[in-house]
Amino acid sequence: MNFGKTQQGETLSLGMRNLYIVPTRFGLLWLAGIGLLQVVAIQLESNGPLWLSFLMLGLFLLSLHLTHFNLEGLEVRCGEPAPGFAGDTLAYPLRLRCRGRCEGLRLRLGAGEPDRARSLVPGEHLLTLPWMPPERGRQRPGKLRLLTTAPLGLFVCWSRWDPPVAQLVIPAPRRGPVGRAPAPADPQERAGASSLHDQGGDLWQDLKPHRPEDGAGRLAWKLLAQGRGAHTKRFVAPRAEAPLLTPAAGIPLERALEHLSAAILRLHGEGARYGLVLGASTIPPGRGPSHRDRCLEALALAPRSL
Amino acid sequence: MDRPPSSATGSRPRRPAAAPESTSPAALRLQWLAEALMIVGLLGLQPSLMLSWLAIGLTVLAGLKLLEAKRLAERRLAGLLQLVCAGVLGALQSDLGPSLLQGVAVVLALAGLLALEAGQGADWRLLLRRSLQVLVGALPVALALFVLMPRLAPFAPLSDLSRGGARMGLSENLAPGSIASLAANGEAAARVSFEGNQPPDPADRYWRVLVHDRFDGESWHTSPTRPPSEAGVTPAAAEPGSGQAQQLWVAEASGLEAVPWDGAALPLGRELRINGRGELLHGGRSSQRRLYGLRDNQGRADGWQRLPPQARDGTLPSGTNPQLEALGRIWRAAGPPAARLAVAETWFRSRPFRYNRSPGTLPAHAPLDAFLFDRQEGFCGHYASAFSALMRAAGVPARVVSGYQGGTWVQPLAGAGYLDLRQDNAHAWSEVWVDSEGWRRVDPTTWIAAARGGGLSASPDRGAVGWLKQQWWALDLAWGRWWLGFDREGQEALLQRLLGDHRNLVGMVVLAAVSVGLGVSVGVLGWLRRRPKGDPPRRELERALVALARRGLVPEAGETLGGFRARLEQSEPELGALLRALADPYQLWRYGAGARPPREARQLGTSLRRHRRRLERVLRRRLQRRPTA
Repeated sequence: MNFGKTQQGETLSLGMRNLYIVPTRFGLLWLAGIGLLQVVAIQLESNGPLWLSFLMLGLFLLSLHLTHFNLEGLEVRCGEPAPGFAGDTLAYPLRLRCRGRCEGLRLRLGAGEPDRARSLVPGEHLLTLPWMPPERGRQRPGKLRLLTTAPLGLFVCWSRWDPPVAQLVIPAPRRGPVGRAPAPADPQERAGASSLHDQGGDLWQDLKPHRPEDGAGRLAWKLLAQGRGAHTKRFVAPRAEAPLLTPAAGIPLERALEHLSAAILRLHGEGARYGLVLGASTIPPGRGPSHRDRCLEALALAPRSL
Repeated sequence: MDRPPSSATGSRPRRPAAAPESTSPAALRLQWLAEALMIVGLLGLQPSLMLSWLAIGLTVLAGLKLLEAKRLAERRLAGLLQLVCAGVLGALQSDLGPSLLQGVAVVLALAGLLALEAGQGADWRLLLRRSLQVLVGALPVALALFVLMPRLAPFAPLSDLSRGGARMGLSENLAPGSIASLAANGEAAARVSFEGNQPPDPADRYWRVLVHDRFDGESWHTSPTRPPSEAGVTPAAAEPGSGQAQQLWVAEASGLEAVPWDGAALPLGRELRINGRGELLHGGRSSQRRLYGLRDNQGRADGWQRLPPQARDGTLPSGTNPQLEALGRIWRAAGPPAARLAVAETWFRSRPFRYNRSPGTLPAHAPLDAFLFDRQEGFCGHYASAFSALMRAAGVPARVVSGYQGGTWVQPLAGAGYLDLRQDNAHAWSEVWVDSEGWRRVDPTTWIAAARGGGLSASPDRGAVGWLKQQWWALDLAWGRWWLGFDREGQEALLQRLLGDHRNLVGMVVLAAVSVGLGVSVGVLGWLRRRPKGDPPRRELERALVALARRGLVPEAGETLGGFRARLEQSEPELGALLRALADPYQLWRYGAGARPPREARQLGTSLRRHRRRLERVLRRRLQRRPTA
């Protein structure tokens, strides 16, 4: 069942005013079964089917209330959604508080598949629901539908709510060329950076004869294997090399942002410093998780045209 | 944190673990168990009834649906099919055993449906409790409807669904000559209990069922149609429901409209009718067990016994049994009918007749001549048949009656005793018309030495198994009386007693009873659902927290009770103090050393309740004040 007014607001508090309940198709079949048993009972003047049909009618009437009970008094609030990548299935957190036992609860976000039925005991619950964001940005997952058919499947009781908290969706990482913005500082450094880029983007610049105390991590293994002797890589000073990433020219912006997303993750993984220039806004070079998150957020929230 | 921000960066998006429609294995097990019970229930069905095939079809359908069901909707449908099937089975078999089986199957099918909805996490104990709650919750409504809802008369008087399928036992055609041997058959025929727990004298235990008044020279038939003047001589005194039943009968399914009775009592109930031949006809379904009551007639015999014989009661096709006819013609000279009867008795007693349950078949030509003058051995059917024919030849109207004779008196451990009639007790005797007294019962078999051998008096059940069987039969009889007894008439009588002259209010009464029943169930189940768990102190604390939560005062995630209380004391000193009065004794009691006896828990609960109520009062006051502020 998917109709009725969509509730708004920070908290959804379910009660008489925002719950809908109608018989399911199975409920109607159940009534038909009662009718059949009544015919058999009347025609054959038999107590067995008569009793069973009345019992089934009693269950039908009772189940109307029990199904309603499942959702009545339920309170739903949004949790704090963690950022995620576009194209992935994201987890959207919800906080539920049940006053009584809540049976057979099925939740569905947006147009996704309904969740499996779960039974909640009285108290607080933190649930996460999967959803697939359509694009980057601050995205709200769409309508949340809460539905239950417990205990017998004769009635379906539901409510709809628009969760107000948006989830940050970052462009999906995709390998590809990224542009380098000209560094506003020393032109010498800029030249060095571009030549590095031409050499293939390796972050070491020079070699010097290897000494044991340099450690195996900085040994130039390739040269050693070529029989050209042991050399130690000499890395450039990080500040001087920090690239200022910017969308590559000549490819659509969205695609370029995806390349940037991948580049940021790669640079972060290598522990390098990097900065980001998106149109007018610039994030100066830095490193670390919070810097990465800041850059990724800027990517997610970048204007549609720079 | 040194991981990318999403939980799902590294791996590709994971589907939700379980398919949304997948259901619990408990549900499947319950449904298959119910199905198995249905199949066991099918074994006792009579294949000749159309309704049996409906039940078989429904069971097979439910089984197939269960086999192929992948989705929730299909599994539900299978459950519904099982329920309907159990109902149809209930119409076909209403004995105690099958009823118990059907009841268990219904409960299992319902529990299966509940388990389907509860999702995968439900455990057995929870499921059982929930099933019982829901079932018991539905009982008041069902009971109110069952007892009070006025019942409709059947749409069609003769149901093709239920007719037919004659069971073994008595038949409308009596042709002893074609029966080589009487099979021993211990199946139940009927059971009767008497007022005062006093069975009649063994010599008077003749229970008539069918009267065979047409004789074609070989076999005796029950004439199918009766002139209207003859149909129904139910005495006016036997108004439906009048008086107390003095004999309560439960007759097993026989396929016959006629049911056993003693021939003297008055029927109770609209369904019963006595016809001109002295057969008691029951309007109910002959393919099912029938329950009826009879009232004593104070020894008067002024009904069918006094109806003069019809022409066919004296008809004897001439030339079919020449020797018999010649003998009868000789007896005509003996004087009045009573004297001819005496001559016949003397004649039978003076010949070397023997009782034999396996005499072999008689020749198709002049069978009774062969029996009387050649073989001279046979069972009750032979003697009754030959004697009645002889009487007709002698000019005395006579007919053959078939029914049961004797029976075993069973006194169970608890409850009333009953006379147990088996198919072994089937018997045939004669009735002759004597002008001065009407139809007189004559049993020529009793004239034969060693009548009926040992089978007459021997109890069919001996030993411990037999004893257990008898107890079960007694329970079954009580069940039948209780369950079958509440029929349309029983309900009418009850409504009459309850409502008296205000019968037009029955609709309102049903509605009110259903509403009250539903209200009580919903109220109790709602309370059970909200009732906080745990011991009394814990419950009081939970209630207090709920009351606070209603005003938006909720512990933060991970906050302890002490922390919450301290925070509350800062922001709302009055409430904080009240919560301290609740929380501190609770924590002392809960986490203090030593045992926690239940009595102490109750005492603490009582004292905490006072604090909780004060807290609630304060909260209410604040709520009232707030809108004006």
